[in-house]
Amino acid sequence: MTALGELAGAVRDCIVVAWVDARTGEVVEQHVARSGPEVEPALDAAIEVMRSRARPQRMVLLSARHVHIVQRLASERRRVLVVICDRTPNIGFAVALVRAFVDAEAA
Amino acid sequence: MHEPRLDAELLHVFERVPSDASGALVREQSDGTVAGALLVEHGRVCWAMSRRYPRRLTDILVDEESSLSTAQLDELFALCRREHKPLGETLIARGMVSLPILHRALLRHTCEALACLVCDEAAPWSWVAHSGYGYHPMLTFSPAEVLAGVRAIIDPTLAARALARLTEVVHAGVHGFAIERGSGARLPLAQIGCDSIELTTLTDLAAQADEVMAVAAAAELDAAITELDGLACAAWLEGDLLFVLLCEDELAFNRLVAQVAAMTTNT
Repeated sequence: MTALGELAGAVRDCIVVAWVDARTGEVVEQHVARSGPEVEPALDAAIEVMRSRARPQRMVLLSARHVHIVQRLASERRRVLVVICDRTPNIGFAVALVRAFVDAEAA
Repeated sequence: MHEPRLDAELLHVFERVPSDASGALVREQSDGTVAGALLVEHGRVCWAMSRRYPRRLTDILVDEESSLSTAQLDELFALCRREHKPLGETLIARGMVSLPILHRALLRHTCEALACLVCDEAAPWSWVAHSGYGYHPMLTFSPAEVLAGVRAIIDPTLAARALARLTEVVHAGVHGFAIERGSGARLPLAQIGCDSIELTTLTDLAAQADEVMAVAAAAELDAAITELDGLACAAWLEGDLLFVLLCEDELAFNRLVAQVAAMTTNT
C-alpha cells in the first residue's frame, strides 16, 4: 500500500488524500478512499483556498459535513497535502495524524 | 454601513504615529490655526480634539453617570485646572465615577473627536514629538481600541452584536476581533484582547481572513483555522460579520480547531 493509502486508512471516515501543487493546482498523487461526487469539488475548494495565500503552513476548513486538512511540506512549500474526511467529533486526532505524516515526509 | 474612505483615513492617521512614541499628531487649517490633534503617549492614545466636535468630556460623563451633575463637574474641572491636577484621577480619587465608566467616557470622547477630525477638510497632519504627558496608562487606549470605537460610532448596532458574540467566544489566552464581512473594511468593529497586536498585523490578519473566507464560503465551507508563523488564527462568518480568533501558544492550533468545530457543529 502507498504512503497516502496508509494515511487514508488511519484517518477515520477519510474520503481522499492527495499531494497537490499549490501553485498550479495540479493533483500530483492521490488516494481516493471513498469515491463519490464530492471528491473533486472538495479537492478543488481546498486547493483554491491554499492558492489564495502563500503563507499558511497549515489550515483546517470546516463545512457542515466535511473537514479539509491542508498542510504544506516545509522543505517544498508549493507541495501541499490535502486530506478530506467526514466531519467526526475527533477532528484534532486527524489533524495530528496529518501533521505527523507531513513532518515524516519532510524529514 | 461602512465607510471605506474613513477607514483608510483612520489607518493613515495611525501610520503617521511613530512606534511607541509620545507626542501630538496635529492638523492645522489653512490659516495656521489648529483644527485638532491626537495626543499619544508611548504609542497609546490619550486624547483627541477637533474644532468640529462640540461635546466636552463632562457632557459624556453626565450621560454615563446619572449621579453626576454638570455643575459638579465644572467645579471640579476648574479646581483641577487651578491646582494642575489630572481630572480623571481626581474624579476616581473622590469616588465620583468608577474607573470603567471613566474609561468608557474617555474612549467615547476620543473616538467621536477623532472621527470629526479625520473628516475635517483641514491641512495634512504633522507629528510633534513630546516627552510625555503623564497620562495614567489605564486611561489611555490602544490603536485597536480607538479604531473599534470609531467603527462603533458609525455602526453601533453591528458593533454591539460583534462585541456580544466575541464576549461569548473569547476565552483566556485567546484574542479576537470582528470586521464587517466582504466590504473591504479592515478596521475592527469590535475587539477583545488585541491591544498588544500591532495595527499593521491586525489589518493584515483581517485582510487575509476576509480573503480566505470569501473563497471558502463559495465552496460552502463555514470556517477556516490557519497557522501563520506560529500564530493560530480561526475565522468564520455569521451574517454580515467575519470573526477572527487568535492564539499563539503551542497547542493553540488544535485548541482553536476544537473550539470552532464545537461552535459550528449545527451549521
